[in-house]
Amino acid sequence: MTKKNYEFAEDSFFLSRRRFMAVGAAFIAVMAIPVGWISSRIAKRNDYIKARSAGLYQDDAIAKIRVSHANPAVQQYYKDFGGEPLGHLSHDLLHTHFVDRTKLQS
Amino acid sequence: MTATTYQPGEIRGLIEIDASKCKGCDACQKFCPTNAIEGASGAVHSINEEKCLSCGQCLINCPFSAIKETHSALETVIQKLADKNTTVVGIIAPAVRVAIGEEFGLGTGELVTDKLYGAMNHAGFKIFDCNFAADLTIMEEGSEFIHRVRSLVKGETNAGPLPQFTSCCPGWVRFAETKYPSLLPYLSTAKSPQQMSGTVAKTYGAKIYDMQPEKIFTVSVMPCTSKKLEASRPEFNSAWKYHQQQGSNAAPYQDVDAVLTTREMAQLLKLLDIDLATIAPYKGDSLFSQYTGAGTIFGTTGGVMEAALRTAYKVLTEEELPKLEFEPVRGLEGIKTASVTLTDKSLNKELTVNVAVIHDMSRNIEPILQEVLAGTSPYHFIEVMNCAGGCVNGGGQPIDGSGTSWVANI
Ligand code: SF4
Ligand code: SF4
Ligand code: SF4
Repeated sequence: MTKKNYEFAEDSFFLSRRRFMAVGAAFIAVMAIPVGWISSRIAKRNDYIKARSAGLYQDDAIAKIRVSHANPAVQQYYKDFGGEPLGHLSHDLLHTHFVDRTKLQS
Repeated sequence: MTATTYQPGEIRGLIEIDASKCKGCDACQKFCPTNAIEGASGAVHSINEEKCLSCGQCLINCPFSAIKETHSALETVIQKLADKNTTVVGIIAPAVRVAIGEEFGLGTGELVTDKLYGAMNHAGFKIFDCNFAADLTIMEEGSEFIHRVRSLVKGETNAGPLPQFTSCCPGWVRFAETKYPSLLPYLSTAKSPQQMSGTVAKTYGAKIYDMQPEKIFTVSVMPCTSKKLEASRPEFNSAWKYHQQQGSNAAPYQDVDAVLTTREMAQLLKLLDIDLATIAPYKGDSLFSQYTGAGTIFGTTGGVMEAALRTAYKVLTEEELPKLEFEPVRGLEGIKTASVTLTDKSLNKELTVNVAVIHDMSRNIEPILQEVLAGTSPYHFIEVMNCAGGCVNGGGQPIDGSGTSWVANI
């Protein structure tokens, strides 16, 4: 009786070689994502990309004005304040420069 | 002195892997445009921040939610909204309006502009649609393109070289700056719509709002994690420089004070108990919510090109395009190309403009750049977006939960 209990306790604490292999395999399965996961992920991704893009094309299609140069607010910005595209103020406020990041030091 | 890819003040290491959650499954590496993710299969992975573009593609695709952002302005923004002496301006990117509804139980891709305006107005934001600035970007970038084309035709050399690349994606800009600095003169010098928005809000906007610029707090809402890095670039304080020239001696401030991702804006609204799904629609409070169809399609691959062509056609031919939808630059093909033949009225000359559109940058851009480096590129104008599908699939967008369902089955 006593002996059997002892064996039982030991069994639950130390995994048998067979169970150890099984658990280990499951652990490895978690680490390596299943075959086909990336492609199914990309397929699902493309579904939501298409749905969201369709939303934006719908926004374009229902817009009263569909070309940037006819936006009255943009025209007002240039007239009241900004001058003209590529003008002096545009150069200061709406344009920038880029940085060669291979030459930076810290 | 050690080499670095960051300027002083820029946010570095924005995207980080949580070592306690990473299973070493390698999925993130498949989505990284710069091979910035290091670590052997099965071992904990880490991100080389010098190579990282902060695009967040790894973050939205990790099946174990092990990747996170190290910077969030959420609390600061909530404090600013509560401060009655601050005008908080919310700058809303195109791709946000077709994704944020997903966080409130609405359908994927549902267009919720008016509800988003309503929810943000309720939270205390002034509405500044980044699409207005996208229209402004087209005016500047399109004029720059026409200037480059006409200079080429006339044999002048005072304009930038062709092809002209778009410059509104900070992932692509940082990629060019770190890997292909010799190509930087080809990039349009136009700021991105986010940066134009911040600058305009604190200059012309200060007049419209009748507010001192230093009391305006600009918060952009972006589908993109890399926009946080962009806003932190030290040169992006043009409004402050402008007001200094006008005699102000206020302490320096950035054009864009804070960036929230689409996910973070959803979180903010939930924290403030605002349900975007049921809120009353709102039309905006100033001219800054007026935008065109051309501005809104910036959020999807090919959209900037299509918008630019609509305006360039009008400027060159002095007529409106008869059909605005430009199908060859739409859709998910990796490299899309098209040619448009038109007559330049002022030069009285027929021109053929060749354009290319690149998204899912790392998979598609190399051959295009090699042609430019070799001087054999057939293109005049090239749009580049880092993320597959463009900003609708940016690293700051709601995460599609279905990708992780298999984990539970093991
Ligand atoms: S995808 Fe996530 S879990 Fe897998 S290696 Fe990358 S960070 Fe780790
Ligand atoms: S944020 Fe983008 S560039 Fe950085 S590690 Fe992730 S996927 Fe790569
Ligand atoms: S494609 Fe859009 S979302 Fe992606 S990095 Fe560029 S700007 Fe950000």
